[in-house]
Amino acid sequence: MFKSLLALFMILFVVSNLFASDGKTFGKDITEKETTKISTILETPEKYDGKVVKVEGTVVNVCESRGCWIEISSDKEYQTIKVKVDDGVIVFPMEAKGKPAVVQGEVYSFVPSIQSDCMDACGDKDKHAEAEKTEKAEKVEDGCCPSKKVEVKKVYQIKGHGAVISI
Amino acid sequence: MKFRKIVRVVHRDLGYLSAVLLIIYSVSGIAVNHLADWNPNYIIEKTEINFTPNADTNLTQDQMQAYIVDKLSITDSVENRFRESVSKIDLFFEGKTISADLRSGIAQVEIVNDRTVIKETNFLHLNKPKKLWTYVADGFAVALCFLAITGMFILKGKNGLAGRGKYFLIIGAVIPILFLIFYL
Repeated sequence: MFKSLLALFMILFVVSNLFASDGKTFGKDITEKETTKISTILETPEKYDGKVVKVEGTVVNVCESRGCWIEISSDKEYQTIKVKVDDGVIVFPMEAKGKPAVVQGEVYSFVPSIQSDCMDACGDKDKHAEAEKTEKAEKVEDGCCPSKKVEVKKVYQIKGHGAVISI
Repeated sequence: MKFRKIVRVVHRDLGYLSAVLLIIYSVSGIAVNHLADWNPNYIIEKTEINFTPNADTNLTQDQMQAYIVDKLSITDSVENRFRESVSKIDLFFEGKTISADLRSGIAQVEIVNDRTVIKETNFLHLNKPKKLWTYVADGFAVALCFLAITGMFILKGKNGLAGRGKYFLIIGAVIPILFLIFYL
């Protein structure tokens, strides 16, 4: 009985090692043949909005709490693009930081919520006071938070479908 | 074989088989239940180091790296780097990142260490291996169902399901139902 269980355990261990993912591929397989330069996407992001792209770069930042996003460096200095994935579906490990990555996903855009800026100002006494001093400050409907009239720019990110990271 | 004897045998052997997995899933369950309070996989230490600033904005990445390595007396080999801005550069090492601002002379050092054992339990609990492990985890879930059902029928009499057992069973069922009523 003991020998049979031990044999079963050994078989399971070997087979699971054979079939287990090596931890380098995340999410779906990368199918796009052509690599798009991140700098090209960032130059005219509206052209890529809604398109599936494959990009390459170094992982320069990883979501510390849930591994739900990574930031990839561009082929040009100072530029990065954020790759956001669904929480829990893909979890990027902290070890990915500094490692080369190939990512496939859909470029999308969104306008950052002014409400969150407002909440920041409300949550921070200094910011709150600073905002109140600003000439253009105005009260929002709930009367809680003064907010500046600022031009909010669209943010472009990639919704990651799959990634291969050289960990 | 009598019904209760079969129940005892199934419960006992499934219990032995599931014991380690049950502990693994329980440990990881508590760990990931408090995601808002801590990182269940890593211990991330962040420290700040001051060094002699360098206001030269014409430095190349190589020169910036060499300057930081020299000023911070770094002996580890740099695996990769990223120039964040004219004066900021990130240097990546194995398990460590240094983000330095040459203009201000401040370097943030981030060291990432695994939470040994807990990280491994999370790896299994959250089905990171996928593929074959998915079926092992499914089998374990079925085994837990069997353990729960057979557990109710091990004893008979006043300590069995017909006796005090039914009250505990009801309490155990009411707790999730109450949460569903109030929070769903």
